Amino acid sequence: MNETIARLLGPADPEIGCDECFAEIDRYVDLELAGADTDAALPGLRAHLAGCPACREEHQSLRALVARGAD
Amino acid sequence: MRAAAPIVGGVEARAEAPREVEWLRDLRAGNDEAIGRLHALLLRAARFEVGRRRPTLPHLRGDELDDIAHEAADDALMSVLRRLDDFRGDSKFTTWAYKFALLEAAVKLRKRAWQGREVPLEPESWTVFATGGLDPGAEVEQRELLAALQRAVATELTPHQRDVLVALALNGVPIDVLADRLGTTRGALYKTLHDARRKLRAHLEEW
Repeated sequence: MNETIARLLGPADPEIGCDECFAEIDRYVDLELAGADTDAALPGLRAHLAGCPACREEHQSLRALVARGAD
Repeated sequence: MRAAAPIVGGVEARAEAPREVEWLRDLRAGNDEAIGRLHALLLRAARFEVGRRRPTLPHLRGDELDDIAHEAADDALMSVLRRLDDFRGDSKFTTWAYKFALLEAAVKLRKRAWQGREVPLEPESWTVFATGGLDPGAEVEQRELLAALQRAVATELTPHQRDVLVALALNGVPIDVLADRLGTTRGALYKTLHDARRKLRAHLEEW
């Protein structure tokens, strides 16, 4: 799909909101990096990341930070 | 054996658990060394975010960026300490804490990037960007779809929904910058965006 159209229409799948996304993003990232089924554990979060650029950026940062083992 | 403290929930199932339990206990007790460790962790995360975004902020000097990282870490420390009861142990404590520093840093940096800039609420472009590999028929179909969407944005949405959709989805205004300018929250704006998108999808199904 064209990028402008995709941004206007957003994700087709049901999604959670920004506040729920923030509440669960740490669990999502730990599950993701452990290779677990994130869609089953946290339905709607992946769709939200597709529709919300700010949450997507923060997810990418958290994932990159945890993956590099800074702690 | 399960830890007695309810604050750590499922934490004890992981290898890091004993250290986390002890750290959480010390944080709750206001232990300076534990708080210092947390601040150092949050500062690392905030600097990581600043480093990732640095190429998009060429006008900011290194010391200005480090000031932002420190402010983000300080604000994140307050958030984490205030919300320790919210930590359920569903993730590592460090992952949970990092997200507060990354959020604070990202919000501050987006606001700096938009400081002094007008937030455009009118469409700047309805261009259909050419997509490689599309045959002429598909390209015509996309142009028609975009034209239908443009009409639907004008006729189906409330003025507020239109402003929010255009600013966020077409003009690329960051959601927290728009929330700040409109005196609302990111969650409320995303709900508006979501409702607008749902209306557009419903309209296209009838189209």
